[in-house]
Parts: sequence; structure tokens; C-alpha cells
Amino acid sequence: MKLVQIAGYLGSGKTTLVIALAKRMAELGLKTAVIVNDVGEIPVDGRVMEEYGLTVKDIGGGCICCQVAGNMLKTVELLANGPRPDFIVVEPTGMAVPNTIRENIKLSAAKNNIAIGPTIVLFDTTRAEKLLTYDTLKRLVSTQLSDADIIALSKTDAVSSEALEKARAEVSRINPSAEVLGLSTHSGEGLADLVGAVREMVITT
Amino acid sequence: MIDFIRTEENPAHEGIHGYGVECLATRRTPVSPAELRDFAAALMAAVSSACFARGAKDIGHIKAYMEHETGFLLADTLGSPGDVTVKGKDGEAASSFRLVVNSVVYGLVPEAVREATEEALAAIFKEHGLCREPANHEHKGTTER
Repeated sequence: MKLVQIAGYLGSGKTTLVIALAKRMAELGLKTAVIVNDVGEIPVDGRVMEEYGLTVKDIGGGCICCQVAGNMLKTVELLANGPRPDFIVVEPTGMAVPNTIRENIKLSAAKNNIAIGPTIVLFDTTRAEKLLTYDTLKRLVSTQLSDADIIALSKTDAVSSEALEKARAEVSRINPSAEVLGLSTHSGEGLADLVGAVREMVITT
Repeated sequence: MIDFIRTEENPAHEGIHGYGVECLATRRTPVSPAELRDFAAALMAAVSSACFARGAKDIGHIKAYMEHETGFLLADTLGSPGDVTVKGKDGEAASSFRLVVNSVVYGLVPEAVREATEEALAAIFKEHGLCREPANHEHKGTTER
């Protein structure tokens, strides 16, 4: 069993990617459970995912990188000791700090024999300039990008090739060690690469 | 049900606040699938406008989920004009539907996010002649499914 995190700022396309990814996994005969966290007190994304037939545990009432981190760990343990799917995909809130979540998960993963897969951080290319320059947003988004093993430049179908290359250069400057790929859940671009990374990549540090 | 554990908020979240509300919308004349889509789109635009009117620096993500006996819709916006999306399964006309709205906004205090969301809800409910009733269950943080 492996745990993968799909993070990124609000509106970057995390839920859409999780649904697409889980569908691909199901086609490959792999079971995926999703832990989804909404910022608001009442979760929405989990209900949407259920409509698409996914196994979902939703956590509301705060962010799993801080306020309700304990709930996430308990949920991981329940999945590990219950249905034990092939993959657990964690979709945190759009304001979560991915590395904090990964550090918390490490303790539970070791105890429950769970491998840690990549942290995939989505970056909305249609809002690139605002996200990287605007006030305190810049700090949060840069932190999220810095924590990524893979940065997925999302909504590539909605921007010019020049804008895409500019975004690629910016995120690579922030996190030179991350793998950067383009992603469009409309056209399917990048999805096969992400499925491959989720299946093969194991984080050991 | 998992015990609710809560600790301090991460300082990286500075300036971003959310508000969630759940209710039941009812009307004697059933709401057609097309009208429900219009309602959803109008609600997203109204919440976004109300947030900007209160001084929001940016819309993080505003989402609504509507569910009735034969269908469901998800609507969302990131705040730019014309970027409202509505998708789902329409089903048949419904005389009641459950509605969840989740507003996450950058640059407003929590009370202002609540006020903006509630103001928009009241206006769009009135526009469509809908009555608002309390949802019939309580959310407790983590949901077992």
C-alpha cells in the first residue's frame, strides 16, 4: 500500500486530477481510496468524488496540515487496518503545506507498513503571475512548490505556449529538484506520466 | 465516527478564510434542471461579487454542491468574470434540493466571508422564489463512508 499526496493552491484542479487518476488506477485493477480535506466546515469535494464512484473519507473543520492533522492520521490507520487499498490519495486543502502533511504521515506510514509516494503539487498556469507575485499568496504558493517531488503545471490547454514556458521556468527556479510536467485533464496531457510516477516512485527520505 | 482532534492553524494560511453552509432549498413549483443550473451559476457569481464588494483581494475557491433525488450539480468559481463552471447529472425537476456552499477567500476576515456568502444566498434564493430550511444532519469534522 502506498500513500500519495496531491496538493496545490485553491482552484488548481486537485479534485479533477484525483478523480481522473483514480479512474485510471481502477482501469489497471488497482484499488484507490481518497482522503479529501476541505477548508470550509462542510466538505463538498468528497461528495462529488463519491458521485464518480470513488471510495472517499472526507475531513472537514480545518486543514489537515495543522488543525485536524490528527484526524488524517486516524483515517490513514483505519484504511491501513481495514480495506487496505493499493493506494491512498490524500487531497489536502488548497492552503495546506505539503511537507507538514508528509512529516505527519511518515510516523503512521512506518507503523502501518505504508510506502510514501510522491507529493504532486499542482500549479494553475492560468493564474501564474498572481500566484507568484501577489502579497502573502506568493509565500504560501512558493512553499507548496518547494515541497513538491513533482510539479504539475495544470490547465495547459488554457494558456499559450509562451505562458506555459514562463510558468515552467518560474516553478523550476523555486524548486530545481522537482520533476515538472504539463497537465490537462481535458486533453489527458500528462496523466499517463503521473499514473506512472504514482505507481513507481517511492520517497525514502 | 472518528474523534475530532483540533490544533492551532498553520501561519502559512494567513489571510485565507473559509465559510461553509448547508441547507435545504424548497419550492412548491419544481425547479427544472435548466433553472437549477442557472441558480448555481448565479449563486457563484453573487458570492464572488459580495466578497469583492467587502474588499476581498482574491477568491480562493467558491464551490456549491446541489443534490436531489435524481441528480446532482457541482458549481465553482475562482472569481474571474465568466469563469463559473456548473457540471453534474441533471436528473428531473425537483421541488427540494440539498445545498452546500463552501467559500474560501483571500483577504477577508472570517465574519466577512460568512456575511458575503449569506447575503448572496438570500438574494439568489429570493430571485428564484426558494425557501431555505435547515439541513437535517450535523457535520462533525470527519465523515466515515
